[in-house]
Amino acid sequence: MLTAFREVVVADFEFTAIPGNRPIPVCLVAHELKSGRQFRIFEGEFGPAPPYATGTDVLLVAFYSSADLGCYRALGWPMPERILDPYVEFRNLTNGLHKPAGAGLLGALVYFGLDAMDAVEKKDMQEAIGNGTWRGRYTSEEILNYCESDVGALERLLPIMLPGIDLARALLRGRYMAAASAMEHAGTPIDVNMLARLREGWTNIQDQLVVAIDVDYGVYAGRTFKSDRFEAWLAARGIPWPRLESGRLDLSDEAFRQQAKAYPIISPLRELRSSLAELRLNDLAVGRDERNRTVLWGFQSRTGRNQPSNTKFIFGPSVWLRALIKPPAGHGVAYVDWSQQEVGIAAALSGDPAMLEAYRSGDVYLAFAKQARAVPADATGTTHAAQRELFKQCVLATQYGQGEEGLACRIGQPRAVARELLQFHHETYKTFWRWSDAALDTAMLSGSLHTVFGWHLHVGEAPNPRSLRNFPMQANGAEMMRLAACLATERGIEVCAAIHDAFLVCAPLDRLEADIAAMRAAMAEASRIVLAGFELRTDCHGAAIVRYPNHYMDRRGHVMWHRVTALLQQTDQQRKTA
Amino acid sequence: MTTKPNIQAVANSTDQPAIPDPFEPANLRLDQSFTETVAVKKLLTTIPVRRPNRQSFFRVHPDQAYREVFPIIDLKDDGEEYIVVKSLVPELATEIVYKQLCLAITRQGTVFFLPLRLPGPDGKDMEWWRSLREHAERAQTRWIRVVPNRDLGAYEAMQAADNLGDPEWPDMGFWDLIKIAFKEYLITDVNHPVIKRLRGLA
Repeated sequence: MLTAFREVVVADFEFTAIPGNRPIPVCLVAHELKSGRQFRIFEGEFGPAPPYATGTDVLLVAFYSSADLGCYRALGWPMPERILDPYVEFRNLTNGLHKPAGAGLLGALVYFGLDAMDAVEKKDMQEAIGNGTWRGRYTSEEILNYCESDVGALERLLPIMLPGIDLARALLRGRYMAAASAMEHAGTPIDVNMLARLREGWTNIQDQLVVAIDVDYGVYAGRTFKSDRFEAWLAARGIPWPRLESGRLDLSDEAFRQQAKAYPIISPLRELRSSLAELRLNDLAVGRDERNRTVLWGFQSRTGRNQPSNTKFIFGPSVWLRALIKPPAGHGVAYVDWSQQEVGIAAALSGDPAMLEAYRSGDVYLAFAKQARAVPADATGTTHAAQRELFKQCVLATQYGQGEEGLACRIGQPRAVARELLQFHHETYKTFWRWSDAALDTAMLSGSLHTVFGWHLHVGEAPNPRSLRNFPMQANGAEMMRLAACLATERGIEVCAAIHDAFLVCAPLDRLEADIAAMRAAMAEASRIVLAGFELRTDCHGAAIVRYPNHYMDRRGHVMWHRVTALLQQTDQQRKTA
Repeated sequence: MTTKPNIQAVANSTDQPAIPDPFEPANLRLDQSFTETVAVKKLLTTIPVRRPNRQSFFRVHPDQAYREVFPIIDLKDDGEEYIVVKSLVPELATEIVYKQLCLAITRQGTVFFLPLRLPGPDGKDMEWWRSLREHAERAQTRWIRVVPNRDLGAYEAMQAADNLGDPEWPDMGFWDLIKIAFKEYLITDVNHPVIKRLRGLA
């Protein structure tokens, strides 16, 4: 399979990675398999380019390569043009299946019955290299040997894995790892002064936040959330809420997230709970260059989407915190997202004419209501807001695989109403449902589903039909995101982060509009390739574009952010007075 | 130091495979048309013979090849209807009524046979029977539901205000569908338990 390549280089870097900062390469070990040449390079010895050949006929093989490619960028080396990442391919090979020892290098060796002794992580040395305290504790020879043991393990793994690898598409996935390294290299600009103030006052602010926000709810006793009070609050407002089998309220963040979409009044409470439970401001990884930067963990989720750490990534669940994003002087940032990406993908891949028509209308929800003849043909979002909302919730429910009970809960209406809405969906989008049924049948008959570029989900024990049905939309959406990231970063756009179906880009003010247009063009192109010619719309207007010295603001976190900043000012004043 | 893996250049190769180009992803696209690649169809194993409930909208197949008149023994207490083979009809004439069985389908996609009672040999017709036949004729082109009205002594039809589109009919012939519906409800000889019961023999 690799005969066409002039050189096949198996490589691994060791590097220091202080949270939030770019990697600092410590050493590189590389084995060129065709000639048998071996390279051991320690810091201070790195040249302006890799010691082996570059070009389209040279294959770089690296395990979780975006980290190694981050070292390439730190060294100013040209990006390799053909990358094979056995980590990604192992994930693809086993996605959805049980892996006895995880998806790391050790796990892959164990999975294939190879000796894993060499690959056992030497924790002390690894930590010392990672936090930059290795000097005086380990010699360069020791570190190079440690690095070489991983290269040796990878060499043993490669021939075992190769027969199961679809090389053409594996290289496309490798291409994305280069794009991921570009995004990690760029990072998201942060207002570090505001972050420092927040970190300093956070403990006090949390107490005051509970008091300030709970005024509208009355569900806290001190810092403790009281479910019986919350139940009474819900009952008083007639807001339905999902329950667990035990009959108790489902108080998971997912339940709050879903309900907040239907009942925006829930949002501040969700933000508060999330902030109290999960927000660890000190974990937010911000480097010396005032950029938030963390490993994106591409291909980590079942759908192949990135899965960066919630606490280290600025785009974690506490959306109000995104107001810390602030472009550097002379720059702007823009949040560009696909419009109705999942519906667009479902429409294009299933070929459902009614769903395609709804997507093209620009307002999927209103179009659905019209197609179901629930509103007149000349209805608008203003004249029939309530009906549109019902049909919107129905579309969202079908995307999440919810049945009539879940939808009834979302819309706060009897099950009969939910049943009728879902029936409308089935009747209006028959072709889509036939395709969705066929996708599920395919999965159950063949044991796997795959995307347009061969990202697989294997059907393990106890398969979840909802996940299987949803896979083509989510996983092809991930393909689209990855391809757009490749196109954009290769064209020189500074992409700071990929967020589900959106990107944050940064550019000097005189280039901002042009880069936004280029980003949107890349996203449109990616959608056309993934969807065989069908183009998805992108959005980027109003508050999505922010110029220095303004802050970015996610509308969902608006209320919370202003509460927090007001409390912060109070705290500052009290401190000054004291 | 590890041993070198078994990856070698092919000596004297004149037709080396091309290196895949990840920068031309359109050439790498895999098909997602599951509908065309998976051969799964819904199997009809049960077809009820009944009048739909008062809430269910239904349509009747417009093709006359999907309706036929049958000699039927109707066990009202059990809610069961049996087709009697032609050879037994003279012998069981007093027990038999004639019904037209029309293929029909609900909005939810449930296929069933709608039995329509025909006038008796004496020409006697009931408004219940006649009204249902009339509504079934309408259901060939419109979605309707039928509601019994005791004061009226007939069925009333409620017609869907909108044209909700045509149903998806099963791709099977009428007689195959009849076999499914009546596989356990076919009387082929006089020793059938239903006949014995009607004759007080069981």
